[in-house]
Amino acid sequence: MSLESLIALLGWGTLVGVDLVSVPQMMIARPLVAGTVAGAILGDLDAGLKLGVVFELLQYDILPVGAVRYPEYGPATVTAVATAHAAAGALGLGLGAVVGLLIGLVGGISMHVMRRINSRVVHAASAVLESGDPRALVRLHVGGLLRDVARAALVTALGLALAWAVPPHVTGMLTPRGATLLAVAGVAAALAAGAAGTLRLVGRGPNLAWFAVGLGGGVVVATWLR
Amino acid sequence: MAAVTPRFGRALLRLFAVQGSYNYERMLGLGVGVAEEPLLRGLPADGATSPYRAAVARGAHFFNAHPYLAGLAVGAAARAEHDGAPPELVEKLRAALCGPLGSIGDRLVWAGWLPLLSGLALAAVSLGAGWTAAVAFLVVYNIGHVALRWWALREGWKHGVRVASALHNPLLQRAATLAGPAMACAVGAALPLTAQYLALPFGAWGRGLIAVAAVIGFLAIRWLPGRLSGLRLALGFVAAALAVGWLWQ
Repeated sequence: MSLESLIALLGWGTLVGVDLVSVPQMMIARPLVAGTVAGAILGDLDAGLKLGVVFELLQYDILPVGAVRYPEYGPATVTAVATAHAAAGALGLGLGAVVGLLIGLVGGISMHVMRRINSRVVHAASAVLESGDPRALVRLHVGGLLRDVARAALVTALGLALAWAVPPHVTGMLTPRGATLLAVAGVAAALAAGAAGTLRLVGRGPNLAWFAVGLGGGVVVATWLR
Repeated sequence: MAAVTPRFGRALLRLFAVQGSYNYERMLGLGVGVAEEPLLRGLPADGATSPYRAAVARGAHFFNAHPYLAGLAVGAAARAEHDGAPPELVEKLRAALCGPLGSIGDRLVWAGWLPLLSGLALAAVSLGAGWTAAVAFLVVYNIGHVALRWWALREGWKHGVRVASALHNPLLQRAATLAGPAMACAVGAALPLTAQYLALPFGAWGRGLIAVAAVIGFLAIRWLPGRLSGLRLALGFVAAALAVGWLWQ
């Protein structure tokens, strides 16, 4: 991985991390988009799309309502693609999934920590906010935004460090069979989470029939294409 | 109305960062206050206890709703302040909007528009569309996203305290009704196609193992709701695979 690619991935991962909640929520944080662009940056679109699809399925497990805590799969997908590119071959997909899952977990924890910090800052500034000073209000808001930028950059940097450090150590540890097993585990978990998350979203009402119609159509097309 | 157009544009732009300082104390409150502030600039602003400052302070109080529809509350509260509504009424209006805006937004966007387009994009990638599927997803999604933010702010600003009528907009109601079935159908179709796309590069035993492990994982998540998330399952699966792969040399 060249230095230019690393810098571009760090920038992209940061943008993706900020997009999830802070600004502008245009869904570049969706794993399919984050992974595809990361793949394009590395000249490895196949890895970008594959890991984008894997983490997009995992994303179905999340419904971001209220103040619910959830993993952050945007920067996770970016670093997963970087790992897969560094590992290459059969090991790429599985090892990419491992690093991505760990960074997804760290990203989720970092968002919770940042929100708690934001709460303390806002609590401390209650008197200024109650005075109706617009400059103080904007300053506090921008402070929160900047903290999210720093958080997203740190999470992405950690993931890229793993993408750089982990593959050389694991390559000799696993046989091709072990590498395949790892990829199988990542794909199976994504499919399970995607299916379970979708069914939770669909519920037991009339949408279930529409889900069955879609599922049937998908099976027919998949069988026809085999 | 024409005199506030640049302010309306500024408020709309600020709404894209409405969750920038999201916190557990005021939730979206600060972001809503920042977005509302340009619309309040016409109010008398002389002195530390001016109507403008009091309205800015109110605007930053606790607020929680779907971020794309927060503009409805921003516009409505700002209009109410201009119309001279009593402070208690403005606070009541904001509080009353939290639930409906959250509920409609979650149903329409998080459980409708977003998974619908994501499902279509997944299906398109699985059928060989490649990166164009991701680009098409972004473009189409954001047409709806930007239109919804703009509509919400405009309707709030137009109706003020009578903003509830905007929520009964036939187009909004119809979209919320159609989003669920369309999403269910699209994601249902995407699942088998995606499974085939991901499993195809593996040999027969790999594909068989994916099928068995996916079914076990699916059942485990369904049987342990709230305790076993997709992330936990995936971490467990890859940890087990690493251990087996390392031992099975």
